[in-house]
This record gives sequence, structure tokens and C-alpha cells, in this order.
Amino acid sequence: MTEPQHRRTLRRPGVALGPGLVSAALLIAVWAVAASLTERPQHLPSPVAVFRVLGQLIGSGELWLHVGMTLFRVTAAFVAAMALGGALGLWMGRSRTADRWMNPALVVLLNIPALVVIVLCYIWIGLNETAAILAVALNKIPVVAVMLRESAGALRPDLDDMATAFRMSPLARLRHVVLPQLAPAIAAAARSGIALIWKIVLVVEFLGRSNGVGFKIHLAFSNFDVARLLAWSLAFVAVMLLIDMAVLRPWQARANRWRVDAP
Amino acid sequence: MRLDLTAKSFGPRPILGPVSLTVGAGQRVALLGPSGVGKTTLLRIIAGLDRDFAGTRAVPDRLAMVFQEPTLLPWRTALTNLTLPTGATRAEAAALMAQVGLAGREAAYPRQLSLGQQRRLSLARAFAARPGILLMDEPFASLDEATRDRMLDLTAQLLDSSGAGLILVTHDPAEAARLSARPLTLSGSPATLG
Repeated sequence: MTEPQHRRTLRRPGVALGPGLVSAALLIAVWAVAASLTERPQHLPSPVAVFRVLGQLIGSGELWLHVGMTLFRVTAAFVAAMALGGALGLWMGRSRTADRWMNPALVVLLNIPALVVIVLCYIWIGLNETAAILAVALNKIPVVAVMLRESAGALRPDLDDMATAFRMSPLARLRHVVLPQLAPAIAAAARSGIALIWKIVLVVEFLGRSNGVGFKIHLAFSNFDVARLLAWSLAFVAVMLLIDMAVLRPWQARANRWRVDAP
Repeated sequence: MRLDLTAKSFGPRPILGPVSLTVGAGQRVALLGPSGVGKTTLLRIIAGLDRDFAGTRAVPDRLAMVFQEPTLLPWRTALTNLTLPTGATRAEAAALMAQVGLAGREAAYPRQLSLGQQRRLSLARAFAARPGILLMDEPFASLDEATRDRMLDLTAQLLDSSGAGLILVTHDPAEAARLSARPLTLSGSPATLG
């Protein structure tokens, strides 16, 4: 897609939404065909069966309680990971000494399997909310830090000089000079982060919580109830898609207003 | 503003030798000399952008700088490019924009302005800081003649009305003369003021 075409698409969300809806409908059609061909419907229930379960979950109010708990954990871990990972990445990108000292720890954290971090947090801290959120945040912090470090190392020196010459306060400098330059990296880290975080939250709930979508998937797995398992997964995917469309995309479009040639 | 520089080097390479420079309120000086002699380095030391030098520096609280390039914040509007770095009010900033011929363009982003307009905005920003001394680093280089003339006239008017002092780095003695700046030539290796 050329640059002007891309801009037009960004301005008219309806245009971007069309292909998305068509591809989702195609996916459901493929699923329906596969479900009708299988000899074991309990392994792959039809979309209708799954949506029926989803309807029951919505009607009983059970969906909102568990999706709400998962969403709370996703939000808390996301905020912690973006704040700490962002600060760490900015520091490492701006200071060669900090980068030299922190890089080995970052590489180690990046390569520890998520499951190990989760299990260790539960063992060391206990089967509680703090351990659950910390385990998720610890998995994402190094990823955010690496993404932000690369951008922070390439900040424009001329704008740094301008801020110094005009004696801008450190806070004003961060807000108006540094963060806007990091906005594309922050947006990329946020969007990839939210996708990674909610998947890890489900594992954390699966292993050690008594509520949330991950817990319900655990129960569905124990009862070999694939329809229920898919219904819970679909419900949460829908919530995350909604967050992407209603929060992340509009924020990104707003942050990119200055890139447009004509007012 | 008073600078007593003993020496400045980049690694083992000495750039500037002993330089003593005093600029009082309302005084205007121009630092002349060939390319690469160290004019910009000297101005960066005065501006506080380069602190790795031997010597002492005393500057007024309010300094402002006009860079070779406009150096604007691309993600902020023209008006906020004036108010944010300088602390000027929106009304003061709008008045300055009108003085440099940019009335009505307050809401435009820098990339929506021509290069000449961006340079005028950068000049307005410097005066929005109400500087005791204005530092200018070859701000008229690479401009076409008409734009350069307009910028020189605007700078002279704003200097007259604000009463600010001036340290101008340029390789063109005519620019120094247009702004009534006392020419000082930087020469030699390491460079000193002649």
C-alpha cells in the first residue's frame, strides 16, 4: 500500500473494517465446514454450538465476572510492564554505561521461558494476585525495554540541543521532546505487548487462580468441553479486539496527526 | 556574557586556543572565519551545549539560540513551538508570529510550513524567550537571496525592539554589517580571536 493510500485508510476506519469483517466471516465459514466434516463433534463443535454456549455465559452474567478479572490482570500487568520496561529502555538507550551494566540481565530475562517465571513467582510469593501480575509483567518488561532502547538510542541530537539551549525543564523535555520521538516504538510495544500479556495471563490463571478466563479454560479442559473452551477464548479475543480498535488505534492516529502534509 | 576559554579540543586535536570574549547588554558581535575553524564550537560553549572545555563561562539567565536548521518540534503546532520551550504566553507568541509574518498559521504543524516560514518561526521562538543575548549559528546560510534579505531585516527589527545583545556566527562580513555587529575573526590552529 502506498503512503497516501495508507493515510486515506487511516482516516476512514470503515474502509479498513470491511476486509477485516470479510476475513473473519471466511474464517467462521471454514470452521463451520470443518466442523460438519469431522466425525467427532466434541473435538470441533460447530460455530453455532459455540455461540450458543457464549449466549448462555452472557445471560448468566458469568462471562462478565471472569472476563473482568482477566482484564484487570491484563491492565495491571500491562501498565507495570510499559512503565518499568519503558523507563528501563529509555535509560539504557540514553546511557551507554547503563546499557553495558543492564544488558546481560536483560538478555537472561528475555530468554527465561515464561512458564519458569510464572512457577517461580508462585513458589516465592505465593498463589496470590501480586505473584500473578508480577509474573506477567516480568515476562513483558524485557521486551518493552529492548524495543524502547533501540529508539531511545536514535533520538534527534538537534532537538536535545534546542531543549538545552532554551533550558526546558526535565519533565517538559521528556513530555514534549523525548516521548513524541518514542511514540512509534511505544505504540508498537503496546500493541505487541497487549497481545502477549493476555496470553500469559491465561497461563497464570490456568496454573494458580480461582477466577478469570484462564481458570474457566482449565475447567473446560478438565471436562473435555471444547465448546465452552472456544466460547471463553472467543469472548476474550473479542474484548481485546475492541480495546485495540477503541483505544490503541485512535491513540495512534491522534499521535500521528503532525505527519499529515496539509492541515 | 563573559567567556574566558583556555583551550578546547576534540580528543587529542586542539580546536580553540585562549579566547576571551565579553558581550554587554545590547552589544552585538559577529564571529567570522573560514569553515571548520571552530566558530560553531565556540558558540556551543557559550550556549552551554558543550561543557567539555578548559576555562570559565558566565552567561545571563535568559539566552536564546537560532540554529542553522529551524530545529522545531514537528509534533507540536507553530504556536506551541513558541510557548513550550520559552514559557511565553499564547498571546505573546501570537504577537511574535504576526511580527514575523506568520499570523493565521498558529495551528499549523512545522511540516505544513515552507522552509522560509519555519526559519521565521525559529527566529520568533528565540525572541519569545526574551533573551538577554541572542546566539545565532549561521541562520542565513543556504537561503535564497530574497528570503535571506527578509530574515536579516526581521532580525534587525526584533533586535532593535527587544534590546537584546547578539553573538552571530557567520562566514559573511556583509551579514555582520547588516546587523551592526562588531566583527571578530577566529583564525589559526588552534583558533584564537584576531
